[in-house]
Amino acid sequence: MNPTLAQRLDRAARNVVPAMLGVLLVLLSTIPFYIPGYGPMAANLVLMAVFYWSIHRPDLLSPVTVFLIGLLQDVLVGMPPGMNAFVLLLVRTLAVSQGRVFRGRSFIILWWGFGIVALASAFIVWALSAMYVFTLLDPLPGLFQAGMTTALFPFLAGLFTLMQQKLLSQV
Amino acid sequence: MKPRGGSSVLRLALPIKVLIQRFAFLFLILAAFALMLLSKAETSAIEKVSNVVVDIFAPLMDGLSQPAAAISDAVSAVRQLANIHAENDRLRRENARLLAWQETSRRLMAQNQALMSLLEYKPDPRAKYIAARVIGDSGGAFVRSMLINSGRRDGLTKGQAAMTGHGLAGRVTSAGLRSARILLITDINSRVPVIVQASRDRAILAGDNSQLPRLVFLPSNASVNSGDIVVTSGHGGIFPAGLPIGRIIRSDDGVVRVNPFVRFEKLEFVRVIDYASVLPETSGQGGPHEVALE
Repeated sequence: MNPTLAQRLDRAARNVVPAMLGVLLVLLSTIPFYIPGYGPMAANLVLMAVFYWSIHRPDLLSPVTVFLIGLLQDVLVGMPPGMNAFVLLLVRTLAVSQGRVFRGRSFIILWWGFGIVALASAFIVWALSAMYVFTLLDPLPGLFQAGMTTALFPFLAGLFTLMQQKLLSQV
Repeated sequence: MKPRGGSSVLRLALPIKVLIQRFAFLFLILAAFALMLLSKAETSAIEKVSNVVVDIFAPLMDGLSQPAAAISDAVSAVRQLANIHAENDRLRRENARLLAWQETSRRLMAQNQALMSLLEYKPDPRAKYIAARVIGDSGGAFVRSMLINSGRRDGLTKGQAAMTGHGLAGRVTSAGLRSARILLITDINSRVPVIVQASRDRAILAGDNSQLPRLVFLPSNASVNSGDIVVTSGHGGIFPAGLPIGRIIRSDDGVVRVNPFVRFEKLEFVRVIDYASVLPETSGQGGPHEVALE
């Protein structure tokens, strides 16, 4: 049975949900919140999305998409272009290869896994940034950011799970 | 798992698909590194492309940042309401003090004018201001920059100073058509030629990603004290001289830092100073324009 045009369009629209979500989260993470000290340690929303979708629906988030989302984040945040793209690609590869460890297990395990990934990402960004400016940078903002990102992960993961159940259960 | 008989095409296709995926990953990783290196080499092509991308997303960011600003304004309005009496009292006292200052200032201005005409002194050209709204706060742990919603079409160009009512916030590092990036004076890449107002000692204000940028290349015999005001020196010809930056903080380990007047977390609007366009034609070539500025 061939799907009708409407069905195919519907499926295509659902297929791009994680990618669009990625772009939206990049934009959301650049909003100025006017909270003292928040800017440098704003939670990395995009990292959460890439980690979550790479574990649950890697088919909907190709390496090219992840690369482009990372690049957009770099450009809008003002980081050296390619840095987030690199980190997010690594996170995707790791999450896809370790997906079986997390799928169907308790959320606590996923949260732990994400905490480690967030910390490792912060370390890579810190090391690359330091190399980029040829200066030893204070790693503390990166640590704070990783902590903030890990702390907020359950909220976004809950939202992603809801999206996955409501929007993507048929694709 | 052995493929049984059947199509040899399928047997070949699968490894090739895997191979392509592997290569795609490697290729993308290499591309990311190549981009980082290229941008380090300051290729203007990358900057141009970034500007176009930021321009595309600027209207969206503009829209998204407005509710956040509205909420922030509402919160501070409520907070102000709570201590409106104390605030009123403080303002009344300040007003009385400022009125006295206004008198002094008027007298000095008249005197200054008279002396200037005696000396046939040529004043600095008047700078033009461009107001802009902050639409993007840096979400990076190791960068201190902001996006604003004005760009080349409003007269912005690279290098211009961005001010608030309190003092210098940063400078324009890249300008798209309708958006621009401001590198804050606290960023590790920021260097601003400054002068200590009281002692006239020159130095460079160097950001280090902390809240308090450092004062470097200060003469060893400089006599600076905590609380001294630091202003731009105007050397380099991009910034006008005398823009207020902050007050000196001397720490015990001998490092001299500056506490900026600008509260970066509250930065909602900036004024970009278009100064170079009103400067008299200079021969350029990166030479010092001190004569024109002092």
